[in-house]
Parts: sequence; C-alpha cells; structure tokens
Amino acid sequence: MQSWRRKSLWLALLASWLLVLLEVFPLLHLAVPTRPRAGAPQGWPRWLDAELLQSFARPGELLEDGPQPPQALRGGSCNWGACFDTSKCRGGGLKVFVYPAAGPVSETHRRILASIEGSRYHTLSAAEACLLLLLSPDTPTGECDPVPPQWDGGRNHLVLSLHPAPCPRTFQRGQAMVAEASPTVDTFRPGFDVALPLLPEAHPLRGGAPGQLRQHSPRPGVALLALAEDRGRWHMAGTDFSACPWDGRCEQDRGPKQTHPGATLPNATFCLIPGRSPDALHFLQALQAGCIPVLLSPRWELPFSEVIDWTKAAIVADERLPLQVLTALQEMPLTRVLALRQQTQFLWDAYFSSVEKVIHTTLEIIQDRIFGASAHPSLLWNSPPGAILALPTFSPSPSDFPFYHLQQGSRPLGRFSALIWVGAPGQPPLKLIQAVAGSQHCAQILVLWSSEKPSPTRWPKTAVPLTVIDGHRKVSDRFFPYSALSTDAILSLDAHSSLSTSEVDFAFVVWQSFPERMVGFLTWSHFWDEARGGWGYTAKRTNEFSMVLTSAAFYHRYYHTLFTHSLPKALRTLADEAPTCVDVLMNFLVASVTKLPPIKVPYGMWHQEARPPPLEPGGPGLRQEPQPAAQNCINQMAAGFGHMPLVSSRLRLDPVLFKDPVSVLRKKYRSLEKP
Amino acid sequence: MWNAEVLKSLVAVTCPCQMVQSHSRLYPPHTVARHQVSGACSECEEEALWVIMCASVKYNIRGPALIPRMKTKHRIYYITLFSIVLLGLIATGMFQFWPHSIESSSDWSVQKRSIRDVPVVRLPADSPVPERGDLSCRMHTCFDVYRCGFNPKNKIKVYIYSLKKYVDDAGVPVSSTISQEYNELLTAVSDSDYYTEDITRACLFIPSIDLLNQNALRVKETAQALAQLSRWDRGTNHLLFNMLPGGPPDYNTALDVPRDRALLAGGGFSTWTYRQGYDVSIPVYSPLSAEVDLPEKGPGPRRYFLLSSQMALHPEYREELAALQARHGEAALVLDKCTNLSEGIPAARKRCHKHQVFDYPQVLQEATFCVVLRGARLGQAVLSDVLRAGCVPVIIADSYILPFSEVLDWKRASVAVPEEKMPHVYSILQSIPQRQIEEMQRQKWGSVSNPLFLPLIPPQSQGFTAIVLTYDRVESLFRVITEVSKVPSLSKLLVVWNNQNKNPPEDSLWPKIRVPLKVVRTAENKLSNRFFPYDEIETEAVLAIDDDIIMLTSDELQFGYEVWREFPDRLVGYPGRLHLWDHEMSKWKYESEWTNEVSMVLTGAAFYHKYFNYLYTYKMPGDIKNWVDAHMNCEDIAMNFLVANVTGKAVIKVTPRKKFKCPECTAIDGLSLDQTHMVERSECINKFASVFGTMPLKVVEHRADPVLYKDDFPEKLKSFPNIGSL
Repeated sequence: MQSWRRKSLWLALLASWLLVLLEVFPLLHLAVPTRPRAGAPQGWPRWLDAELLQSFARPGELLEDGPQPPQALRGGSCNWGACFDTSKCRGGGLKVFVYPAAGPVSETHRRILASIEGSRYHTLSAAEACLLLLLSPDTPTGECDPVPPQWDGGRNHLVLSLHPAPCPRTFQRGQAMVAEASPTVDTFRPGFDVALPLLPEAHPLRGGAPGQLRQHSPRPGVALLALAEDRGRWHMAGTDFSACPWDGRCEQDRGPKQTHPGATLPNATFCLIPGRSPDALHFLQALQAGCIPVLLSPRWELPFSEVIDWTKAAIVADERLPLQVLTALQEMPLTRVLALRQQTQFLWDAYFSSVEKVIHTTLEIIQDRIFGASAHPSLLWNSPPGAILALPTFSPSPSDFPFYHLQQGSRPLGRFSALIWVGAPGQPPLKLIQAVAGSQHCAQILVLWSSEKPSPTRWPKTAVPLTVIDGHRKVSDRFFPYSALSTDAILSLDAHSSLSTSEVDFAFVVWQSFPERMVGFLTWSHFWDEARGGWGYTAKRTNEFSMVLTSAAFYHRYYHTLFTHSLPKALRTLADEAPTCVDVLMNFLVASVTKLPPIKVPYGMWHQEARPPPLEPGGPGLRQEPQPAAQNCINQMAAGFGHMPLVSSRLRLDPVLFKDPVSVLRKKYRSLEKP
Repeated sequence: MWNAEVLKSLVAVTCPCQMVQSHSRLYPPHTVARHQVSGACSECEEEALWVIMCASVKYNIRGPALIPRMKTKHRIYYITLFSIVLLGLIATGMFQFWPHSIESSSDWSVQKRSIRDVPVVRLPADSPVPERGDLSCRMHTCFDVYRCGFNPKNKIKVYIYSLKKYVDDAGVPVSSTISQEYNELLTAVSDSDYYTEDITRACLFIPSIDLLNQNALRVKETAQALAQLSRWDRGTNHLLFNMLPGGPPDYNTALDVPRDRALLAGGGFSTWTYRQGYDVSIPVYSPLSAEVDLPEKGPGPRRYFLLSSQMALHPEYREELAALQARHGEAALVLDKCTNLSEGIPAARKRCHKHQVFDYPQVLQEATFCVVLRGARLGQAVLSDVLRAGCVPVIIADSYILPFSEVLDWKRASVAVPEEKMPHVYSILQSIPQRQIEEMQRQKWGSVSNPLFLPLIPPQSQGFTAIVLTYDRVESLFRVITEVSKVPSLSKLLVVWNNQNKNPPEDSLWPKIRVPLKVVRTAENKLSNRFFPYDEIETEAVLAIDDDIIMLTSDELQFGYEVWREFPDRLVGYPGRLHLWDHEMSKWKYESEWTNEVSMVLTGAAFYHKYFNYLYTYKMPGDIKNWVDAHMNCEDIAMNFLVANVTGKAVIKVTPRKKFKCPECTAIDGLSLDQTHMVERSECINKFASVFGTMPLKVVEHRADPVLYKDDFPEKLKSFPNIGSL
C-alpha cells in the first residue's frame, strides 16, 4: 500500500516535471530575443539608389505656382478677412453700438447692457459704429427679435448670447459674428465667432468674487480629484481611486464619498468635467476654485480660445482612456501642477469673474482683430495682469510695460522723469527742483503748472532739462500720459513736497526692483469701519499701510495711460471733485492691477517739521486726517471697482546699513539718517 | 492641449543630438542654464515652443551652420515635421504623461535594397474608392484611441506600410514610386522611437504612398491604392502627408485624394478645409533652404525695408507691388524672374530688378520685411526661405492656416496683413516700432517664467514649519527649539537628525513646546538633507534654521515670516552676503564685509517656499548637489543660486542682522579659518556660476524692516519692537 502510494507520488511528480519542462522550453525559447536575421526587413529600408530619387516637386513648380485671381467670398462660411469690413473702424478704432432691446429685459441682459455702456468702446450712433451688437433675448418668454434695421446680411454685427438661445434663430447668422456660451465645436467658426463662458445666473456685474486660491501649492491631504455632477455639485475622490469615477462603467467603488450640496466650489487639485455642453458651467467653478479643469473630450469650444492659451490652465483628455488619464494626473510633476493652478486663478480674475470682464474681453478680442499687427501679443493675454489691463495702444512691445520684464529678460530704463504738480498757490518749488535735479538718475523735470497765476518765465538752472506744461487745473491732469514723459519711471511730486536727493536716489533704486508697484514715502492705511459699516482710511502712523501718497512716489509711466484710458469716467470725475480722492484712486488702480501692496521707503521726519502749513484743506499730499468727504471717497471707489483692491504691507524697505551702528563712512545713503 | 510638451519629448527623443546642438548655438548661455534647471524634459511649455522653433523655423534659419551634410538637414526637417504632426494628433492628450526613455537605435541592421525591386501591385479599375474627407472629423469622433492603449507606460507606436509600386489595369503607374523628401521623412520616422514593426501594436499608420505633390499623382487611382491598405478601415488612424494640394484651375487648399477619416498633415490649409485639432498645418518644404548656406545675421536695420521675391505673382498683386516700389523707391525692392540669364545658371537661384541681378535666397538677408503672398496655393515655399534668412515675413494670404499654428504664436515672428490692406502694407509696417521689429527678428520664442508667478499673499494663519538641521549639539539644539517655539506663527518643528552613529535623545528629554515636534533621522550625514522636501512639511513656508542660531528674537523671526508672506517666491533671510567680480583674478569673489548691497542670504536662518526644497532635491543642475555634499559647504549659496535662477528675483534681507554669532565656535583661531572659509566660498560661487552657465544672483541695495523701525514712535505701540541688532 505504502510503496504503491510512494510510486504513484513519484510518478505524479515526474509527470508534472515533464509537463513543466515541456511548457517552459518553448517559453524560454521565446524569451530569448531573436537576433535580427540578416536581410530581414527592419524599419524603413535604406534604398541603395536613394540618391537618385527625384524631388517631390520640380524646382519650377514650387516657385511658379501659377497665379490665381484673388479669391471671391465663398458661400456658407465666413472668416474675419472676408466678412468684416474694417474700413468702418478707421480713425476711432472699435466703436460699438448696441441695439435697444425690444421688450422687457432680464437682469442678465440689463447687466450686459450696463457693462457695454460703461466701456470705452460704446457709441450711441449706429452710423458711427464699426461693430453693431445685437443681444439675443435670453428669457424663454422673450420675443425673438425681428431682423434689425442695419442688418445688411449681418455684416459687422455681433450677435451676443450669454446663455444658449431659447428660441431658434429667426434669421440666418450670415456674415454676423456669433458670441455665445460654450458653442459646439462643429458650428464654431474659429477666428470669427467668439466663444464665451457659460455663466451662472447670478454672475456679478463688476468686481466679482476673487479666486479661491490662497496659496500656490495644493495643501497636503487635499483631494486629488473632484468630479462634476449634476446641478453644479462636485463629487470628491481621494488619491486612491481603483475605479474610474465617470462613465458609469465602473460605478461600484467611488472612494471616500463626500457630496457637496448645492453649487459649492470643489476643493481638489483636479476637476474632471464631462464633455457635454451643460457641464461647461462646472468649468468656471473649477477655475474660480483653483482646481485644474480636466476636460473629458469637450464637444464645446473653450471660452476665448482665440486668445487664451488653455494649455497653460487646463487639461483636455480623452474620456475613452480613463485609466491613462488618472495615471497621468497622479504622476503629473509638481512644477506643472503649480503652474496650472496659478494660471486658473489668473484667468478667472482677469477675464471671467464678472459679466463686465467677459464683455470687455469679447470686445478686446474683436479690437485685436481690427488692430492686426499691433494687437496684444499672446504673452499679454496669458500672463498677469491680462490683456484688459495691458492696453495695446500704449506700446506693442511687452518690454515697455512694467509687468513683463522677467519674462522678457529686460529691465526698466535706467532714469526717471520728475513730474511736479503746481496747484493753487502757484509758487515755483525751487528747493524741490534742486533736490530732484541733484539725483544722478534724474533725466528731466516736468512742471505741470495748474495754478491760476501765470507760470514764471524764469526757472532755476538745473543740470537736467526742465519743461513747463500747462495743466487744465484739474487734479486728474497729473496722471495724464504726457508725451514728454519719455522714461519708464515717473517721480510724481507736489509743489509742497519736500525730499532730499538721497531719498530720491534710494527710492528710485528700489523702484527698479519693483517696477510694477508704487514706491512712496508717505503712507495711508485703509480699514473696515464697523461703526459706519464702510471703508475708512487714515494717515496716522501705524504698523501697516496700503496706500502711498502720490505727492511723492515713483511709479511706471504706464499707469498714466491706464489711469486716463481705462478708468471709468465717473471715477475720474469723482477724483477731480475731492482732490484727496485722486491718491486713493491711483492706489486702487495700481493695486487692482498688481494685487500687491505698494512699497514704502524711509522718509526723514525733519521734512514734516519744515513743511509749511497746508494751504488747501484736504489738499493732496498732506499728512492730516482725511476729511469726511474724502472718507466717503474710498467707499465710492470700492463700489466703482466692485471690490476692495487695496492690500496691506507691514514692511518698509531701507538701505542695507540703515541706522546700523557702523561707521557712517561705510554707508551709501547716509543723509537718509538725519534725525 | 498639452501637445507642446508631448512634442518636446517627441523632438527630444527623436533628435537628441541635434537638439542639444541647436540649444547651445541659438540661445545665450543663461537661457540654456535655466532650461537645465527646469530639467531637460521639464514641464514648461514655453520651452517646448522654442524647441519646435529651433527645430522648424530656427532650423530653417541657421540649420546649415549646424550640420554640414545635406542629408542630415533633410532628416532634421522631417523628424521635426513628423514630430509636430504627431503632436497635433495626440492633442487628446492621454499620452502626455507617459514616461519615456531614450533608447538607442543606432545598432539597427537595415535592409539594403533598390527602389526598382519593390513589388508591383495592380489595382483593378473597379477597386473601392474611399469616401471624400469628412470635414466634421475630430479626435473624439474619428480617431480610435483604443489602438494606442497598448503600451500604457510607453510611447505611441507608428507603423509604416512597406513600399509598393501601384499600377492600373493597363500597367501604367499611379504615381512616382517615392520622392526623395518622402523617403527621408519615412526614414526619420522609422529611426525614431515611435516606430514599430508590429502592425497589431501600432496606433498610427503611415502609408508609403507618396502624396506630397498632388500634381505628381492620379487622384482616383491613388485613393484606390489607399483603400486597399491592410489596416485602412476608413482611414482611421492613418496619417497622410501633403505639401502641394489641389490643382488647376481651382486649386483646392487640401489634398483632393478621397481619404475618408485619415488625418492630413498638409501645407496650405485654409480656414475652410482645416479641421482644427485634427489636421496639422505644415510648412511647404523649400529645397533651396537646404542647398544654400546663409551666414547668421543679428537683428538690426537692413538695406531694404520691404522686399518681394516671389516670381509668378498674379498681375493684380504685381501692380500693387510696383506701385509700392514707385512710392517708396530704394526702401522697397520688388524682384521678378530674370529674363536674360546665361545658360547653366539655375533660374531658381537668381532674381532680377530691371537689369540688376540678385542671388536668391541671399538677397532675403538684406531686407527687414519680406512679403509672402498667396499664389494659386496658400502655402508658399518662400516662407521657409524667408524665415531662414531672418527676414520678418509679411504674410498676405487671407484664411491661410500658418504652419503649426496650434502651437506657435506667429504674431511674435511675423506680420499678417489682410489682402485688401495690401496697398497700405508699407505704412502698416512703418508703424511697428524698431524695438518690436528687433524682437521679431530675434524670434525669441521662449522665456523664463517664475514658478510662483501668481501675485498672492498667503494667509497668516497657515504659519510656517521650522526645520532644524542638527548633528549632535543637543544642548544648543534644545535652546533653539525653545526660542523658535515662542514665535506665534510657528506651526510645526521638524528636527533633521543627521548623525547616524548616535540616537536622538529620548522623547522625555525634549523641550515641551506648544506645536508638534518631529524628528527625522537621515541615512547619511549630508548637508542637502536640510533641503529635502519632507512629507512632514505641511505649510508652504519653511524656516531653515541651524541648531546654533539662538540670537534671533521672536519678533525678528515673526517679522521674517510676515515679510516672506509678501514675497513668497523669494529667499527671505537675515545676514546678507554679496558676490563681487574680481577684476584682477577674473573670477567671482565671496564678500561678507558689511556692504551697502546684498545678493545672497545665509540659510542658517531663512524663510522660503517649500517648493524650492523640491527643486533643490530633484532639479538642481549639474553635479552641484553632490559637490555640496562632498565639500560639506555652500549649500546655502547653492540654494541662493537656484532660487534666483528660477525666479529671476533678488533675495530679501530682513532686519539689521549681519552675522550669526555662535558662542561655541569663537575659540578657534578666527583669522586663518576665516580666510580658508572665504576662499572656499568664492570657489563655490565660481563653480556654481559655471554649472548654471550664468550668474543668476541679483544685487539689491535694500533690506526689509518693520514700517516703524527706529522711527520716533512709542515702542510699545510697535508690532515688532524687539528686532535685535547686528
């Protein structure tokens, strides 16, 4: 019995060995890489007679590609060159006329109208306009407009619908451009139509909520993925996703479940957005949340795709390859995640956060097409502060703006122009002129004579050229882009200002490191006044500040252009009425562009003691408590901007050896330390 | 969407040696260095953009100087072409992140055969013809991505059909078997890592039927030849190349051969025929560009402002050009065919104005702007010549899809003028400032971008993580821990225990502090351990602090953190140092004197973003990291170099602090130690500058102090009254 069992065991063992050997041998054989047999086809052959091959075209064929008469317009499709008559836009550039609404208008409609009317492109005359804008009705009950009077086959028309049109188009779009939310890829005419974002109902008119990103890198432990669900909700998935969280194909294990009620913003690194058009609503949410949108085969055109480089802010993936996409997202290098996250926030803030921005971006795109060669370069569209705040009329070269020196590898020009504003008393500020002209960095002095008194004919002799400009006695004049301002840096001064040469020198050197910010000597700080339920600001010395006074400050000359050409007229008028307001306005403007606080440099206390008593109440540049009227100004500005752009700083930039107990001889800016 | 990156890897993989060469030739050393930092295959699209450019446009401009043999020139052209075409196809993106490895393909045994020996295929007259091209095709509708899913961790695979000669029933050839250019193109593809022999694993298929020139083929029969390819399947995933589409009289802007769903890489697409995100626009290859060597020419004014060199222009255009010349005289030069050339001179190489004869393409280098006008076809070979000559192209061809327009920003290197504006072309060009013209001539397609470019001030509530590097000075370490724990914004303390021979003290012995304290033990006593991106770091802000820095006050540290919040992309430190150029020795020198300038801060105590730990550990260029560990010195200088190089910004020195006095080390004979120390540090600066290929450090004259520092103001009202001294 025993031996039989042993025998059979041995037999079984032997048999299994045999089997194993039989199995393994062929496998082994296969596993050994077969050497390429000589002469076997390997890759594309190297033809022996390759040198004898003919070129794909005869030499003449390329050069004398026969002439063809200029193309006539082809039916059906339109492009910019064929369907838009730019000759109407000569002279004034882009002028937009809006057809008045036929019936009652919805809230969104009203907001769009308001933002176009507030823009610098708006005109009231259809004859003068080069672009006629037709708002397509957005209420389900709204009557579908008849064809407007100046329709002309749609030439130079823009049909704008922020929401997918509820009524079928009553007329052929023809040669009219269509700006619509999330247009389908198939009907979209690139370079002619404009793709708009799909906005939620309650999108703010101006200002808008800031982006949610509070830090550059994702917090550790934050969900990797959020998946868009119906009704603006998001489904969070952790880093462990064994199943593909979309398509319904692998529904079972969806990771740690956490569904947010309502339209909450997703708190994740990546946001998966399905490709159907209604899901485009999630796209903006993701942008605002700083969650990198991962679009799964979108069937709609990305908003403003003509100018925005979405490769820098979003990912377009194929929904058919879920596992590869997930792996790719998990393995995405940190540097790219960082860059994408930041770009989402920049784009949100620059182009999407309010109805006004969306409309202005649309018009800006059309203006760029009209400008042709002198349009915004792509860099201006795709890096902060964005194309709406970088006016192409200022300069076609990015190096002339204060924002792009880093990307361009350039530096601001090495000298500054002092712009001295002389107000009511009309005393030539001789001492100030001498102090400023003494600076080695000073290129020229401009005196803006805004006094009733005639300007003196004789001015002191200075080492640098001095020019007198006649002002219009308006405070906002001081921020006009005078052609005489030839340097990048402007030192804005008041006749009352008191500065020493070494203060000027040091401040200018600091400005060169921060050309996009204002560098000033005297500061104000803003605060939220609980008692009054509004903003207030103070000139008291505190541990922080958020504004510098323009009676003595360095900033880039571009801000003059921006102040004059991009600010709403209402705000500038306000500043003219309450002169301290102009400082607030300029600080608002720069802060809303840079999103950063200004910079304070040391200022000798002895100036203040030597200063004559103020002559105008609440005049600019005075270190006294702003008047109640002026207090109100900051609230009007905040309303005008739609938000409070000011940012506080707690530091001052001093010379490296400032007030250090070391030999005075070592110090470059020793006169800054006068008691 | 992320195609630029794919492309870069494609290009980098397909032609590694040429690319490296062109990098160093075309860009000043500092740009190269920056790219090294971000890694040879890093994530920056900008970089990818100019890789494309240096491969396509740049190649056209300066290629010949780089590679002496003509054959190679062709090859780069095609490799690039192919890579870019591929990139367009992968726009869906799932291959984006697949890691790739560079394999050598040099040891291939290639078959040597004659073209005359290729098998002949007879096409019956009634064999099927594919549908005409489907204009609504997009990646998600007409492209089968599942075929590309075979090697999820690898690159996509491309198969090339073997070469056949197609004849019709009567035995008349359908087209010329293959042209020189198409052969080179296929050779380039087959030499790349994307090539596969295995048709079942391929994701893209390239027919060997030469479609480059529509004039050289019979449309219907060629389509029949396509349809009988073994994996044709309505043309799905098939890629066709064409440079000269259409034919008389109407000259279609895309290949007329019915091709169903096949992708088309074509020269001369118009907005009407181009399927965005599906087709790829390619430049029309100019054989002249490869034949003639043109010297490099820098930006700056040239002899002619505007030049037209095309020969067969429509009479209407020629009239306009003649009018231009009449108006602007010398500044505009309009060239035409030469009528009385002597025998033996190729007409393609000469142009004439009246009786004056000019060499072509050399004459293009004499002009600032060169007109590229639409002919019968939109894509013109002259564009390649113009770009190569460094002349700024003025493209007058409405609705033309410029080559690779999906990835290239043509606005930066060319001017597009609508055809109806042609009479005003001169004044349009004159309104462009000289500075912009020079930028166009330079064709600088890439730039440095700060990795933390978004202006934002992180919330104070986040706090910072202090990382103390220590070896065995336990007593001093405990004092540092106690001091640092007094800083209000400290949120965690990490002790990096760098001593492998000794265990850290028992838990009970450590000071009791209000925030979590973690000890990390390292495997080796290396200085770079201080800059490792530990998982334990949860805050963005990191305070690196030595185990003997006990002189910094709590106010000083808290203020340092506040300053970092305002400059989160910079190194924020206390004692500042400077680098100087030693004219006598012609090298850099380290300076610790108390000067008016700073360019570095010591990392004995410094705040910075934790991202820089990642960069230091994984992206430090060259052998700097090993060098630092070997010399046990200069890790702080390396960090200063790294941050300045990647952000282009200076450090921020805070408060008057000038030195870290360590009580224990005063005893050693100060002077001589000091001198060797200085020599070593100077050596570090020179070493790093050479590795980076540039001096990235920025010199500034300011430091940050609290707003009311040393102001005549009641101390008790100041936020940071106790700021310490030197």
